[in-house]
Amino acid sequence: MADQQSPTPGEITIMAAGAVMFVFSFTSFAGSSNAWQRGLFPIATLLPLYGLVMGLQIALTKFASLKLPHSVLGFTWEQIHLALGVMAALMAFGWMVTDYGDKKVGTWFEILGGIALVVGAVMIQRERNTGAIG
Amino acid sequence: MDKLKISTANLVILVAGGVMLIASFLAFHKLAVPSFEIGSQKVGGGTKSYNAWSTGHFLIATIPALLGTLMAVHVALETYAPQVSLPDRILGFTWTQVHVILAFQATVMMVAFLIQNFSPLDRGVGLYLMLISAIALLVGAVMRMQQKPDTRPFG
Repeated sequence: MADQQSPTPGEITIMAAGAVMFVFSFTSFAGSSNAWQRGLFPIATLLPLYGLVMGLQIALTKFASLKLPHSVLGFTWEQIHLALGVMAALMAFGWMVTDYGDKKVGTWFEILGGIALVVGAVMIQRERNTGAIG
Repeated sequence: MDKLKISTANLVILVAGGVMLIASFLAFHKLAVPSFEIGSQKVGGGTKSYNAWSTGHFLIATIPALLGTLMAVHVALETYAPQVSLPDRILGFTWTQVHVILAFQATVMMVAFLIQNFSPLDRGVGLYLMLISAIALLVGAVMRMQQKPDTRPFG
């Protein structure tokens, strides 16, 4: 039962990043608004949503023994994590560069979370020997 | 004439990517400036517009345009410059999968910009054109996937 083994470092990184991003999405992102409030929703909400989807997929398959299809639209779950992780990091970089005023604590946790997601996704490629990296 | 041969899927991506780039220089958001009268003089009025490259929009609103341009450039190189050597896979993804990922991301972001209530700014023609282009890119990428169904995982 490989699915019920303890989570790997890559999986822990993604679950932790997803949880942190979701929690901090309710703290100030720009001005006094969080990522769910008018003016920022849903463009600033995409990052925590990506983190939530990635974290939940791992948590549910690891701890709730949820059985998901091996691939979705021709993409394996490792590839989906890598794709979402890279896009999350791209959006994190995008928010870091965008000049919309002072960046608040929520922004910085979303940016760090986005980077952590791609790091976790790369670690998973190595842990599961997909051959995609390295 | 072989050089001009291009599949429908690639043509859709090429055109949509080009339109996306051009649209990124058109008004993404616009602000209607109210006019008022001082005596007999009318002051103010008009519209101020911001494109995807304007301060406050760059880089987050520019990302979909960059993704679309990247897709179009790849298709152009693949079709018209076969002498340019490109890797078969990027991070284990086939190019067809890369197109699907980039188009999906561009579409998700543009839909998010469409839903976003950025009052007092209104949506501009550039935003709508970028949204339509992003959807076209996704359609092109899916068509490409059906033409080239080699999406087997690496290794």
